[in-house]
Amino acid sequence: MEVNLESLAVGEYKELERNVFTTTLENVKAWARSNSLWPMTFGLACCAIEMMGTGAAHYDLDRFGTIFRASPRQSDVMIVAGTVTKKMAPLLRRLYDQMPEPKWVIAMGSCATAGGPYVKSYSVVKGVDQIVPVDVYIPGCPPNPAALIYGIHKLQEKIRYEAKTGKRVTDT
Amino acid sequence: MLGLLKGMGVTLKNMTKKKVTYKYPDEPVKMPERFRGIQHFDPEKCIVCNQCARVCPTDCITLTGRKHPDPNKRGKIIDTYDINFEICILCDLCTEVCPTEAIVMTRNFELAAYSRDELFKDMEWLHDNNTKIRGGSQ
Repeated sequence: MEVNLESLAVGEYKELERNVFTTTLENVKAWARSNSLWPMTFGLACCAIEMMGTGAAHYDLDRFGTIFRASPRQSDVMIVAGTVTKKMAPLLRRLYDQMPEPKWVIAMGSCATAGGPYVKSYSVVKGVDQIVPVDVYIPGCPPNPAALIYGIHKLQEKIRYEAKTGKRVTDT
Repeated sequence: MLGLLKGMGVTLKNMTKKKVTYKYPDEPVKMPERFRGIQHFDPEKCIVCNQCARVCPTDCITLTGRKHPDPNKRGKIIDTYDINFEICILCDLCTEVCPTEAIVMTRNFELAAYSRDELFKDMEWLHDNNTKIRGGSQ
């Protein structure tokens, strides 16, 4: 089969240059990864109660392949649920470093996003993005289980989008 | 043996029961009437009294107003109204103190974002957030 490369636009040509097989494999990998997001059990405060509630019968996170793991070695995503104090921050970083690649972080609740009600406190980290790279922020105090499920879906979308286009979601 | 029968009894009893799991992403969850989601703001009703910004425990509300353009009318009109939703704890105090109910709670909770900038809500966004308002018809 003959393909006339001259008649293609620059963008289309660039797309062709990319190996077709590789992009497909990336998509398959993203599909597999996004449907088996194993979060690390990392509850720090009241958000952890909502996170546990999300894992229980009424909301049932297992429907999305999201199964809580007790060890950072077996987990893909870290749901930071609650207030991160400055004393806890180095431990959070260590647990993040112990997770195998690829790994993602969800900041659940106002405290993990920006400090929440403790913005004026001397002992609270004002957002976990100061310690670890965060993928999805879920506001709320605490976010209800449905909001957490929405955030997890948002992360799944991000994984698939970034594998499909090779761009970051925040760059648009 | 008795224990096994007992266990099977529980299993059989629950097998025919209605399932409790919500089908959330496929079907919207019905939130309680007094659920506190993100606020809806009506610039027409606001009288720039600053009560909400004063009462906010995390100081996440900032607002500015200016004099009424019509010189015969007294009072102020709203210029900018921003809620920094990163630190809003949805405590409901702003809607409680508002004398004209310019700011009200809604039952919208799907707010997860990829960047913290998206969580900064301005007046336009809050005005367009007009579904599922608490005390409303929906």
